[in-house]
Amino acid sequence: MTARDPENDITELLRTDINKGFRIVVERYSSKLYWHIRRIVILHEDANDALQNTFMSAWRNIENFRSESSIYTWLYAIAVNESLAIINKRNKYAATSLDDLESYFTNSLEGSTWFDGDEAQLILQNAILKLPEKQRIVFNMKYFDDMTYEEMSKILNTSVGALKASYHHAVKKIEYSLLYG
Amino acid sequence: MEEFKNISGKNPFKVPDNYFEEVNRKIISVTVDNGSERNKVSISRKLRPYLAVAAALALFALLSYSGFYFLSGKNIDKVPEITLYYFSENYLNDIDILTLEENAGSIENDMARMSLNSNEILDYFALENIDINDIY
Repeated sequence: MTARDPENDITELLRTDINKGFRIVVERYSSKLYWHIRRIVILHEDANDALQNTFMSAWRNIENFRSESSIYTWLYAIAVNESLAIINKRNKYAATSLDDLESYFTNSLEGSTWFDGDEAQLILQNAILKLPEKQRIVFNMKYFDDMTYEEMSKILNTSVGALKASYHHAVKKIEYSLLYG
Repeated sequence: MEEFKNISGKNPFKVPDNYFEEVNRKIISVTVDNGSERNKVSISRKLRPYLAVAAALALFALLSYSGFYFLSGKNIDKVPEITLYYFSENYLNDIDILTLEENAGSIENDMARMSLNSNEILDYFALENIDINDIY
């Protein structure tokens, strides 16, 4: 007897009882999505906004969801877009350049009530912050979320080869950053 | 590089207490519990192709009529048509009844002044050399 796939159950429930299905989706995936978003946008307030925007957008477009991909992959793709939208907004209004934005995040991280890491983790986060936006997302997905390149390819709409190269460059840059600051 | 490997997978971020319970409640209240918004979007999306066709047809009809109107020259030398209703409403109402009675009175006076007896009529025929048989 094979175990039932919970993803299929949710997809089926979304078809038969959308309210109940969506409620389960929110309860099941909100924390997982939050941590993905948080690693991209760094600040809790921004992560909170991006998370709510993600579910609002998913609710408005739930009829466009195709069951070929999993609901989680679909939500993850929306979350990445919402996170980038928040970063771009912050880039536009709060900082004049990408370097300023990086130092803004670094300062926010060090003084934040919602950052609980030790010194090594702070150094790592600062090294990640130095990466270009796309590389940072790829690195987070692979390193922290242990996502396969195939899954990442569906979410970011990028080839597996390009993702592998991107991750390789990101790791090299972080290693360099950790060694030489 | 050992340090890099050791910190792998650790989550250095924190959230306020009960954050996920609260945010889930908030998200559900603005989505599932406020379900009309999704339906409204859905209906408008479903109607969008029909609205586009209706708008295209209306535009086509307007352009066709405008083209016909200007190219046919029907707008040139067009005499306004006055209907009976329009005439009675706008012209008869302008006539002052007192003026009408006054004019009618003067005509009656003229007729009275012009009344003739039979001898005067015969004298007129004789004077004008009119044969009585030409009349009857």
